[in-house]
Amino acid sequence: MNGAEATPGTYDRTPPVWGGPGAPGRYFDLLHNLVSRAIKQRYKRSVLGFAWTMLNPLMTMLILTVVFSAVFGAVVPNYPLFVIVGLLAWNLFSLGSTQGLASVVDSGALIRKVAVPKEMFPLAAVGANLVNFLFSLIPLLFVMLVMRVSITWAVLWVPVGVFLIGLFTLGVALALTTLNVFFRDVRYFYDAALLAWFYGTPIFYPIEVLSPRARAILQWNPLYVLVDVFRTPIYAGTAPAPAIVITAAIEAIGMAVVGWLIFRRYQARFVDYI
Amino acid sequence: MAYDPITRITVDQLSVRYDLQLERVISVREYAIRRLRGERFPSQILWPIRDVSFTVQAGESFGIVGRNGAGKSTLLKVIAGIVPPTLGRVEVRGQLSPLLELGAGFDMELTGRENIQLYGTLLGRRSRHLRARIEAIADFAELTPFVDVPLKNYSSGMVARLAFAIATDSDPEILIVDEVLSVGDAPFQRKCEERLARFRARGVTILLVTHSLALLTETCSRAVLLEPGRPCVVGSVNEIAARYAERTGG
Repeated sequence: MNGAEATPGTYDRTPPVWGGPGAPGRYFDLLHNLVSRAIKQRYKRSVLGFAWTMLNPLMTMLILTVVFSAVFGAVVPNYPLFVIVGLLAWNLFSLGSTQGLASVVDSGALIRKVAVPKEMFPLAAVGANLVNFLFSLIPLLFVMLVMRVSITWAVLWVPVGVFLIGLFTLGVALALTTLNVFFRDVRYFYDAALLAWFYGTPIFYPIEVLSPRARAILQWNPLYVLVDVFRTPIYAGTAPAPAIVITAAIEAIGMAVVGWLIFRRYQARFVDYI
Repeated sequence: MAYDPITRITVDQLSVRYDLQLERVISVREYAIRRLRGERFPSQILWPIRDVSFTVQAGESFGIVGRNGAGKSTLLKVIAGIVPPTLGRVEVRGQLSPLLELGAGFDMELTGRENIQLYGTLLGRRSRHLRARIEAIADFAELTPFVDVPLKNYSSGMVARLAFAIATDSDPEILIVDEVLSVGDAPFQRKCEERLARFRARGVTILLVTHSLALLTETCSRAVLLEPGRPCVVGSVNEIAARYAERTGG
Protein backbone atom coordinates (compact mmCIF):
# COMPACT_ATOMS: atom_id res chain seq x y z
CA MET A 1 0.00 0.00 0.00
CA ASN A 2 2.62 2.52 1.00
CA GLY A 3 5.49 3.00 -1.36
CA ALA A 4 8.89 1.70 -0.42
CA GLU A 5 10.26 5.23 -0.67
CA ALA A 6 8.00 6.47 2.10
CA THR A 7 9.77 7.33 5.34
CA PRO A 8 8.13 6.40 8.62
CA GLY A 9 6.05 9.02 10.39
CA THR A 10 7.54 11.29 13.02
CA TYR A 11 6.04 12.69 16.18
CA ASP A 12 7.76 15.57 17.89
CA ARG A 13 6.54 17.42 20.92
CA THR A 14 8.03 20.19 23.03
CA PRO A 15 7.82 20.06 25.96
CA PRO A 16 7.86 16.27 25.58
CA VAL A 17 5.12 14.20 27.19
CA TRP A 18 7.36 12.31 29.54
CA GLY A 19 10.70 14.02 29.06
CA GLY A 20 12.43 17.24 29.98
CA PRO A 21 13.98 18.27 33.27
CA GLY A 22 10.98 17.39 35.47
CA ALA A 23 10.57 13.92 34.03
CA PRO A 24 12.30 11.79 36.71
CA GLY A 25 10.05 13.22 39.39
CA ARG A 26 6.92 12.60 37.35
CA TYR A 27 8.02 9.03 36.62
CA PHE A 28 8.62 8.47 40.29
CA ASP A 29 5.23 9.84 41.33
CA LEU A 30 3.42 7.69 38.78
CA LEU A 31 5.36 4.60 39.82
CA HIS A 32 4.56 5.31 43.45
CA ASN A 33 0.85 5.56 42.68
CA LEU A 34 0.81 2.41 40.55
CA VAL A 35 2.66 0.41 43.19
CA SER A 36 0.43 1.60 46.00
CA ARG A 37 -2.65 0.79 43.92
CA ALA A 38 -1.37 -2.75 43.33
CA ILE A 39 -0.75 -3.22 47.04
CA LYS A 40 -4.14 -1.82 48.01
CA GLN A 41 -5.83 -4.09 45.48
CA ARG A 42 -4.11 -7.05 47.02
CA TYR A 43 -5.04 -6.34 50.58
CA LYS A 44 -8.50 -4.92 50.16
CA ARG A 45 -9.79 -8.13 48.68
CA SER A 46 -8.57 -10.75 51.10
CA VAL A 47 -9.92 -11.10 54.61
CA LEU A 48 -6.61 -11.98 56.15
CA GLY A 49 -4.95 -9.09 54.34
CA PHE A 50 -1.38 -8.60 55.40
CA ALA A 51 -1.37 -11.75 57.46
CA TRP A 52 -1.63 -13.77 54.28
CA THR A 53 1.65 -12.44 52.87
CA MET A 54 3.34 -13.63 56.04
CA LEU A 55 1.47 -16.90 56.47
CA ASN A 56 1.89 -18.06 52.91
CA PRO A 57 5.69 -18.58 52.99
CA LEU A 58 5.44 -20.07 56.48
CA MET A 59 2.89 -22.61 55.33
CA THR A 60 4.86 -23.56 52.22
CA MET A 61 7.95 -23.86 54.38
CA LEU A 62 6.11 -26.17 56.78
CA ILE A 63 4.89 -28.40 53.98
CA LEU A 64 8.32 -28.64 52.35
CA THR A 65 9.91 -29.29 55.75
CA VAL A 66 7.48 -32.07 56.58
CA VAL A 67 7.97 -33.68 53.21
CA PHE A 68 11.71 -33.24 52.71
CA SER A 69 13.41 -32.89 56.08
CA ALA A 70 13.80 -36.66 56.27
CA VAL A 71 15.70 -36.53 53.00
CA PHE A 72 17.67 -33.30 53.29
CA GLY A 73 17.50 -32.61 57.02
CA ALA A 74 20.64 -34.62 57.66
CA VAL A 75 22.64 -32.71 55.04
CA VAL A 76 21.21 -29.28 55.75
CA PRO A 77 21.20 -27.99 59.32
CA ASN A 78 18.30 -25.65 60.17
CA TYR A 79 16.44 -26.99 57.18
CA PRO A 80 13.26 -24.88 57.68
CA LEU A 81 15.34 -21.68 57.61
CA PHE A 82 17.18 -22.88 54.49
CA VAL A 83 13.82 -23.45 52.81
CA ILE A 84 12.12 -20.21 53.76
CA VAL A 85 15.06 -18.01 52.71
CA GLY A 86 15.11 -19.72 49.33
CA LEU A 87 11.34 -19.52 49.03
CA LEU A 88 11.22 -15.78 49.66
CA ALA A 89 13.81 -15.18 46.96
CA TRP A 90 11.92 -17.49 44.61
CA ASN A 91 8.57 -15.82 45.32
CA LEU A 92 10.01 -12.40 44.64
CA PHE A 93 11.17 -13.61 41.25
CA SER A 94 8.22 -15.80 40.25
CA LEU A 95 5.43 -13.47 41.40
CA GLY A 96 7.19 -10.36 40.07
CA SER A 97 7.84 -11.89 36.66
CA THR A 98 4.35 -13.45 36.37
CA GLN A 99 2.59 -10.21 37.23
CA GLY A 100 5.04 -8.22 35.16
CA LEU A 101 4.29 -10.48 32.19
CA ALA A 102 0.57 -9.72 32.41
CA SER A 103 1.01 -6.03 33.22
CA VAL A 104 1.02 -4.47 29.74
CA VAL A 105 -1.92 -6.47 28.39
CA ASP A 106 -3.86 -5.91 31.60
CA SER A 107 -3.28 -2.16 31.27
CA GLY A 108 -4.28 -2.26 27.61
CA ALA A 109 -7.28 0.00 27.99
CA LEU A 110 -5.11 2.61 29.61
CA ILE A 111 -2.28 2.36 27.09
CA ARG A 112 -4.75 2.89 24.25
CA LYS A 113 -6.15 6.02 25.88
CA VAL A 114 -3.43 7.87 27.75
CA ALA A 115 0.05 8.90 26.66
CA VAL A 116 1.86 7.08 29.43
CA PRO A 117 5.31 5.47 29.46
CA LYS A 118 4.47 1.80 29.06
CA GLU A 119 7.49 0.49 30.93
CA MET A 120 5.83 1.81 34.09
CA PHE A 121 3.49 -1.19 34.19
CA PRO A 122 6.06 -4.01 34.42
CA LEU A 123 8.13 -1.76 36.67
CA ALA A 124 5.17 -1.27 39.02
CA ALA A 125 4.40 -5.01 39.06
CA VAL A 126 7.96 -5.81 40.12
CA GLY A 127 7.96 -2.86 42.55
CA ALA A 128 4.76 -4.03 44.23
CA ASN A 129 6.27 -7.47 44.73
CA LEU A 130 9.38 -5.91 46.22
CA VAL A 131 7.18 -4.20 48.81
CA ASN A 132 5.39 -7.47 49.55
CA PHE A 133 8.75 -9.13 49.82
CA LEU A 134 9.74 -6.66 52.53
CA PHE A 135 6.65 -7.64 54.53
CA SER A 136 7.51 -11.29 54.13
CA LEU A 137 10.82 -10.66 55.88
CA ILE A 138 8.81 -10.63 59.11
CA PRO A 139 8.07 -14.39 59.03
CA LEU A 140 11.71 -14.92 58.11
CA LEU A 141 12.81 -13.08 61.26
CA PHE A 142 10.31 -15.16 63.19
CA VAL A 143 11.83 -18.40 61.92
CA MET A 144 15.35 -17.17 62.72
CA LEU A 145 14.20 -16.33 66.22
CA VAL A 146 12.58 -19.71 66.77
CA MET A 147 15.59 -21.57 65.42
CA ARG A 148 17.97 -19.36 67.41
CA VAL A 149 19.99 -18.37 64.38
CA SER A 150 21.75 -15.09 64.99
CA ILE A 151 22.07 -12.26 62.54
CA THR A 152 25.62 -11.33 61.57
CA TRP A 153 27.17 -8.37 59.81
CA ALA A 154 26.90 -10.35 56.61
CA VAL A 155 23.24 -9.31 56.59
CA LEU A 156 24.43 -6.09 54.94
CA TRP A 157 24.70 -8.21 51.79
CA VAL A 158 20.97 -8.88 51.81
CA PRO A 159 19.98 -5.63 50.06
CA VAL A 160 22.50 -6.43 47.34
CA GLY A 161 20.88 -9.82 46.79
CA VAL A 162 17.38 -8.34 46.80
CA PHE A 163 18.39 -5.63 44.35
CA LEU A 164 19.97 -8.11 41.95
CA ILE A 165 16.99 -10.48 42.09
CA GLY A 166 14.67 -7.50 41.51
CA LEU A 167 16.73 -6.35 38.54
CA PHE A 168 16.77 -9.81 37.00
CA THR A 169 13.02 -10.14 37.56
CA LEU A 170 12.45 -6.80 35.86
CA GLY A 171 14.47 -7.90 32.83
CA VAL A 172 12.46 -11.13 32.54
CA ALA A 173 9.20 -9.19 33.02
CA LEU A 174 10.08 -6.66 30.29
CA ALA A 175 10.92 -9.40 27.79
CA LEU A 176 7.90 -11.57 28.59
CA THR A 177 5.37 -8.75 28.72
CA THR A 178 6.47 -7.76 25.21
CA LEU A 179 6.04 -11.32 23.98
CA ASN A 180 2.66 -11.56 25.70
CA VAL A 181 1.37 -8.59 23.71
CA PHE A 182 1.85 -10.56 20.51
CA PHE A 183 1.09 -14.07 21.80
CA ARG A 184 -1.48 -14.24 24.55
CA ASP A 185 -0.77 -17.80 25.59
CA VAL A 186 2.75 -16.94 26.69
CA ARG A 187 1.57 -16.81 30.26
CA TYR A 188 0.51 -20.46 30.21
CA PHE A 189 3.83 -21.51 28.77
CA TYR A 190 5.56 -19.44 31.40
CA ASP A 191 3.55 -20.99 34.24
CA ALA A 192 4.70 -24.41 33.11
CA ALA A 193 8.27 -23.18 32.67
CA LEU A 194 8.22 -21.68 36.17
CA LEU A 195 7.30 -25.02 37.69
CA ALA A 196 10.27 -26.67 35.98
CA TRP A 197 12.45 -23.73 36.95
CA PHE A 198 11.46 -24.10 40.59
CA TYR A 199 12.58 -27.72 40.68
CA GLY A 200 15.72 -26.80 38.77
CA THR A 201 16.75 -24.24 41.38
CA PRO A 202 18.16 -25.26 44.77
CA ILE A 203 15.31 -23.84 46.84
CA PHE A 204 14.33 -26.80 48.98
CA TYR A 205 17.37 -28.98 48.32
CA PRO A 206 21.09 -28.22 48.70
CA ILE A 207 23.15 -28.26 45.54
CA GLU A 208 25.47 -30.81 47.19
CA VAL A 209 22.90 -33.60 46.77
CA LEU A 210 23.10 -33.33 43.00
CA SER A 211 25.41 -35.38 40.82
CA PRO A 212 28.42 -33.51 39.38
CA ARG A 213 26.76 -33.58 36.00
CA ALA A 214 23.50 -32.10 37.25
CA ARG A 215 25.49 -29.48 39.11
CA ALA A 216 27.32 -28.51 35.93
CA ILE A 217 23.98 -28.02 34.19
CA LEU A 218 22.67 -26.02 37.12
CA GLN A 219 25.48 -23.52 36.70
CA TRP A 220 23.52 -22.29 33.71
CA ASN A 221 20.50 -21.47 35.84
CA PRO A 222 20.91 -17.76 36.59
CA LEU A 223 18.67 -18.02 39.63
CA TYR A 224 21.07 -20.37 41.34
CA VAL A 225 23.67 -17.66 42.01
CA LEU A 226 21.05 -14.95 42.55
CA VAL A 227 19.34 -16.98 45.28
CA ASP A 228 22.73 -17.73 46.76
CA VAL A 229 23.67 -14.05 47.12
CA PHE A 230 20.52 -13.58 49.17
CA ARG A 231 20.61 -16.85 51.10
CA THR A 232 24.22 -17.11 52.25
CA PRO A 233 24.30 -13.98 54.46
CA ILE A 234 21.10 -15.00 56.25
CA TYR A 235 21.38 -18.74 56.38
CA ALA A 236 25.14 -19.18 56.81
CA GLY A 237 25.80 -15.77 58.30
CA THR A 238 28.74 -15.21 55.97
CA ALA A 239 29.32 -12.99 52.97
CA PRO A 240 28.62 -14.65 49.62
CA ALA A 241 31.70 -15.61 47.60
CA PRO A 242 32.94 -12.72 45.41
CA ALA A 243 32.76 -14.88 42.30
CA ILE A 244 29.09 -15.60 43.04
CA VAL A 245 28.27 -11.92 43.57
CA ILE A 246 30.01 -10.90 40.36
CA THR A 247 28.26 -13.62 38.35
CA ALA A 248 24.92 -12.64 39.85
CA ALA A 249 25.51 -8.97 39.05
CA ILE A 250 26.44 -9.74 35.45
CA GLU A 251 23.36 -11.92 35.03
CA ALA A 252 20.99 -9.40 36.60
CA ILE A 253 22.33 -6.42 34.67
CA GLY A 254 22.54 -8.46 31.47
CA MET A 255 18.94 -9.65 31.77
CA ALA A 256 17.71 -6.14 32.57
CA VAL A 257 19.49 -4.73 29.51
CA VAL A 258 18.20 -7.47 27.22
CA GLY A 259 14.64 -7.10 28.55
CA TRP A 260 14.80 -3.35 28.15
CA LEU A 261 16.09 -3.56 24.57
CA ILE A 262 13.35 -6.01 23.59
CA PHE A 263 10.69 -3.83 25.21
CA ARG A 264 12.00 -0.63 23.60
CA ARG A 265 12.15 -2.27 20.20
CA TYR A 266 8.47 -3.26 20.11
CA GLN A 267 6.67 -0.90 22.46
CA ALA A 268 5.53 1.54 19.75
CA ARG A 269 3.53 -1.30 18.20
CA PHE A 270 1.81 -2.34 21.44
CA VAL A 271 -1.06 0.04 20.88
CA ASP A 272 -2.11 -1.88 17.73
CA TYR A 273 -2.21 -5.24 19.47
CA ILE A 274 -3.80 -4.63 22.86
CA MET B 1 -2.74 37.71 26.73
CA ALA B 2 -0.84 38.94 23.73
CA TYR B 3 -1.20 36.99 20.55
CA ASP B 4 1.75 34.73 20.21
CA PRO B 5 2.21 34.04 16.52
CA ILE B 6 3.62 30.56 16.72
CA THR B 7 2.36 27.37 15.24
CA ARG B 8 1.16 25.11 18.01
CA ILE B 9 0.26 22.06 15.98
CA THR B 10 1.59 20.98 12.62
CA VAL B 11 0.09 17.95 10.93
CA ASP B 12 1.88 17.33 7.66
CA GLN B 13 0.74 14.62 5.25
CA LEU B 14 -0.21 12.36 8.12
CA SER B 15 -1.36 8.83 7.42
CA VAL B 16 -2.13 6.17 9.96
CA ARG B 17 -2.39 2.52 9.08
CA TYR B 18 -4.13 -0.16 11.07
CA ASP B 19 -3.64 -3.81 10.30
CA LEU B 20 -6.81 -5.61 11.29
CA GLN B 21 -5.06 -8.97 11.28
CA LEU B 22 -2.62 -7.63 13.80
CA GLU B 23 -5.40 -6.74 16.12
CA ARG B 24 -6.56 -10.31 16.23
CA VAL B 25 -5.19 -12.12 19.20
CA ILE B 26 -2.85 -14.79 18.00
CA SER B 27 -1.39 -17.45 20.24
CA VAL B 28 1.94 -19.18 19.96
CA ARG B 29 0.05 -22.42 19.36
CA GLU B 30 -2.02 -20.97 16.53
CA TYR B 31 1.04 -19.31 15.06
CA ALA B 32 3.02 -22.56 15.12
CA ILE B 33 0.17 -24.59 13.57
CA ARG B 34 -0.30 -22.10 10.75
CA ARG B 35 3.41 -21.94 10.10
CA LEU B 36 3.66 -25.72 9.91
CA ARG B 37 0.76 -25.89 7.50
CA GLY B 38 2.45 -23.23 5.44
CA GLU B 39 -0.51 -20.88 5.75
CA ARG B 40 0.01 -17.20 5.21
CA PHE B 41 -1.17 -14.53 7.60
CA PRO B 42 -3.46 -12.45 5.44
CA SER B 43 -3.63 -8.91 6.64
CA GLN B 44 -6.36 -6.42 6.15
CA ILE B 45 -4.90 -2.97 5.88
CA LEU B 46 -7.01 -0.02 6.88
CA TRP B 47 -6.05 3.64 6.67
CA PRO B 48 -8.23 5.53 9.14
CA ILE B 49 -6.22 8.65 8.32
CA ARG B 50 -4.98 9.31 4.83
CA ASP B 51 -2.79 12.27 3.94
CA VAL B 52 -4.16 14.83 6.38
CA SER B 53 -2.44 18.22 6.67
CA PHE B 54 -3.23 21.33 8.68
CA THR B 55 -1.65 23.74 11.15
CA VAL B 56 -3.09 25.36 14.24
CA GLN B 57 -1.75 28.71 15.43
CA ALA B 58 -1.42 29.80 19.03
CA GLY B 59 -4.67 31.08 20.46
CA GLU B 60 -6.71 29.60 17.67
CA SER B 61 -9.65 27.27 18.13
CA PHE B 62 -9.63 24.62 15.47
CA GLY B 63 -12.39 22.14 14.78
CA ILE B 64 -12.30 18.56 13.53
CA VAL B 65 -15.51 17.27 12.00
CA GLY B 66 -16.48 14.11 10.23
CA ARG B 67 -18.85 11.23 10.54
CA ASN B 68 -18.23 8.24 12.77
CA GLY B 69 -15.28 6.26 11.50
CA ALA B 70 -13.76 9.21 9.66
CA GLY B 71 -10.67 9.03 11.86
CA LYS B 72 -11.31 11.92 14.23
CA SER B 73 -10.44 10.03 17.40
CA THR B 74 -7.38 8.47 15.80
CA LEU B 75 -6.20 11.91 14.72
CA LEU B 76 -6.53 13.22 18.28
CA LYS B 77 -4.67 10.19 19.63
CA VAL B 78 -1.81 10.80 17.23
CA ILE B 79 -1.59 14.45 18.28
CA ALA B 80 -1.75 13.43 21.95
CA GLY B 81 1.13 11.00 21.42
CA ILE B 82 -0.83 7.80 22.03
CA VAL B 83 -0.89 6.38 18.49
CA PRO B 84 2.33 6.70 16.45
CA PRO B 85 2.02 8.17 12.94
CA THR B 86 2.63 5.68 10.15
CA LEU B 87 3.61 8.31 7.58
CA GLY B 88 4.01 12.05 7.71
CA ARG B 89 4.99 14.47 10.42
CA VAL B 90 3.24 15.72 13.55
CA GLU B 91 4.67 18.53 15.68
CA VAL B 92 3.22 19.86 18.90
CA ARG B 93 4.63 23.02 20.48
CA GLY B 94 3.42 23.80 23.98
CA GLN B 95 1.99 22.22 27.10
CA LEU B 96 -0.79 19.94 25.94
CA SER B 97 -3.77 18.77 27.96
CA PRO B 98 -5.86 16.08 26.28
CA LEU B 99 -9.49 15.92 27.35
CA LEU B 100 -10.12 12.64 25.64
CA GLU B 101 -11.08 9.28 27.07
CA LEU B 102 -11.70 11.07 30.33
CA GLY B 103 -11.29 8.89 33.35
CA ALA B 104 -9.30 6.15 31.62
CA GLY B 105 -7.06 5.11 34.46
CA PHE B 106 -9.58 5.50 37.23
CA ASP B 107 -9.64 2.61 39.66
CA MET B 108 -13.15 1.99 40.91
CA GLU B 109 -11.92 0.40 44.12
CA LEU B 110 -10.01 3.51 45.13
CA THR B 111 -11.48 6.66 46.66
CA GLY B 112 -11.93 9.98 44.88
CA ARG B 113 -8.86 11.35 46.63
CA GLU B 114 -6.72 8.36 45.63
CA ASN B 115 -7.98 8.58 42.06
CA ILE B 116 -7.07 12.25 41.84
CA GLN B 117 -3.52 11.17 42.64
CA LEU B 118 -3.53 8.18 40.30
CA TYR B 119 -5.15 9.86 37.31
CA GLY B 120 -3.20 13.07 37.84
CA THR B 121 0.15 11.28 37.85
CA LEU B 122 -0.91 9.28 34.78
CA LEU B 123 -1.37 12.64 33.06
CA GLY B 124 2.16 13.55 34.09
CA ARG B 125 1.51 15.78 37.09
CA ARG B 126 3.42 15.79 40.35
CA SER B 127 1.98 14.21 43.51
CA ARG B 128 2.88 17.23 45.61
CA HIS B 129 1.02 19.56 43.28
CA LEU B 130 -2.01 17.26 43.17
CA ARG B 131 -2.22 17.02 46.95
CA ALA B 132 -2.44 20.79 47.11
CA ARG B 133 -5.18 20.82 44.46
CA ILE B 134 -7.45 18.07 45.86
CA GLU B 135 -9.90 20.47 47.51
CA ALA B 136 -10.15 22.67 44.42
CA ILE B 137 -10.69 19.68 42.14
CA ALA B 138 -13.31 18.10 44.41
CA ASP B 139 -15.01 21.46 44.75
CA PHE B 140 -15.24 22.02 41.00
CA ALA B 141 -16.58 18.48 40.53
CA GLU B 142 -19.10 19.17 43.33
CA LEU B 143 -17.88 16.07 45.11
CA THR B 144 -16.33 17.50 48.26
CA PRO B 145 -18.41 15.32 50.67
CA PHE B 146 -17.60 12.18 48.68
CA VAL B 147 -13.88 12.59 48.16
CA ASP B 148 -13.06 9.70 50.51
CA VAL B 149 -15.68 7.36 49.07
CA PRO B 150 -14.61 4.62 46.62
CA LEU B 151 -15.48 5.40 43.01
CA LYS B 152 -17.58 2.25 42.69
CA ASN B 153 -20.18 4.01 44.82
CA TYR B 154 -20.27 7.07 42.53
CA SER B 155 -22.85 7.53 39.82
CA SER B 156 -21.48 7.64 36.28
CA GLY B 157 -22.14 11.39 36.20
CA MET B 158 -20.07 11.87 39.34
CA VAL B 159 -17.20 9.86 37.84
CA ALA B 160 -17.33 11.96 34.65
CA ARG B 161 -17.35 15.19 36.64
CA LEU B 162 -14.33 14.11 38.64
CA ALA B 163 -12.46 13.15 35.46
CA PHE B 164 -13.22 16.50 33.84
CA ALA B 165 -12.20 18.39 36.96
CA ILE B 166 -8.84 16.59 37.17
CA ALA B 167 -8.09 16.84 33.45
CA THR B 168 -8.81 20.57 33.28
CA ASP B 169 -7.06 21.42 36.53
CA SER B 170 -3.90 22.50 34.78
CA ASP B 171 -2.48 25.43 32.92
CA PRO B 172 -2.23 24.13 29.36
CA GLU B 173 -1.26 25.96 26.18
CA ILE B 174 -3.11 23.46 24.03
CA LEU B 175 -6.33 21.72 24.90
CA ILE B 176 -7.69 18.73 23.01
CA VAL B 177 -11.43 18.41 23.53
CA ASP B 178 -13.31 15.31 22.39
CA GLU B 179 -17.03 15.73 22.91
CA VAL B 180 -16.54 16.00 26.62
CA LEU B 181 -19.06 18.74 26.95
CA SER B 182 -21.65 16.02 27.36
CA VAL B 183 -20.42 15.48 30.91
CA GLY B 184 -22.86 15.59 33.81
CA ASP B 185 -26.17 17.41 34.00
CA ALA B 186 -27.07 20.74 32.44
CA PRO B 187 -25.71 23.00 35.21
CA PHE B 188 -22.43 21.10 35.24
CA GLN B 189 -22.23 21.29 31.45
CA ARG B 190 -22.54 25.05 31.69
CA LYS B 191 -19.70 25.04 34.20
CA CYS B 192 -17.56 23.03 31.82
CA GLU B 193 -18.33 25.39 28.96
CA GLU B 194 -17.44 28.36 31.16
CA ARG B 195 -14.14 26.77 32.05
CA LEU B 196 -13.38 26.14 28.38
CA ALA B 197 -14.37 29.71 27.50
CA ARG B 198 -11.98 30.95 30.17
CA PHE B 199 -9.18 28.89 28.67
CA ARG B 200 -9.98 30.33 25.26
CA ALA B 201 -10.01 33.88 26.57
CA ARG B 202 -6.59 33.24 28.07
CA GLY B 203 -5.27 32.41 24.61
CA VAL B 204 -5.19 28.64 24.97
CA THR B 205 -5.16 26.84 21.65
CA ILE B 206 -8.12 24.50 21.36
CA LEU B 207 -8.57 21.47 19.16
CA LEU B 208 -12.23 20.49 19.22
CA VAL B 209 -13.90 17.37 17.91
CA THR B 210 -17.65 17.61 17.74
CA HIS B 211 -20.73 16.56 15.86
CA SER B 212 -22.52 19.73 16.89
CA LEU B 213 -22.29 22.33 14.12
CA ALA B 214 -23.64 24.95 16.49
CA LEU B 215 -20.82 24.38 18.96
CA LEU B 216 -18.33 24.24 16.10
CA THR B 217 -19.27 27.57 14.54
CA GLU B 218 -19.57 29.20 17.93
CA THR B 219 -16.16 28.02 19.16
CA CYS B 220 -13.85 27.66 16.20
CA SER B 221 -12.49 29.90 13.48
CA ARG B 222 -11.19 27.18 11.19
CA ALA B 223 -11.77 23.45 10.84
CA VAL B 224 -10.89 20.31 8.96
CA LEU B 225 -13.44 17.91 7.48
CA LEU B 226 -12.44 14.26 7.49
CA GLU B 227 -14.15 11.80 5.19
CA PRO B 228 -13.19 8.21 4.54
CA GLY B 229 -11.85 7.73 1.04
CA ARG B 230 -11.68 11.43 0.22
CA PRO B 231 -8.98 14.04 0.73
CA CYS B 232 -9.46 16.14 3.82
CA VAL B 233 -10.65 19.72 3.44
CA VAL B 234 -9.36 22.57 5.57
CA GLY B 235 -11.15 25.90 5.61
CA SER B 236 -13.02 28.54 7.51
CA VAL B 237 -15.52 27.18 9.97
CA ASN B 238 -18.53 28.32 7.96
CA GLU B 239 -17.26 26.70 4.82
CA ILE B 240 -16.56 23.42 6.61
CA ALA B 241 -19.86 23.46 8.47
CA ALA B 242 -21.70 23.97 5.19
CA ARG B 243 -19.84 21.13 3.51
CA TYR B 244 -20.42 18.82 6.45
CA ALA B 245 -24.12 19.65 6.56
CA GLU B 246 -24.34 18.95 2.84
CA ARG B 247 -22.61 15.58 3.22
CA THR B 248 -24.72 14.42 6.10
CA GLY B 249 -27.86 15.66 4.45
CA GLY B 250 -28.45 18.00 7.38
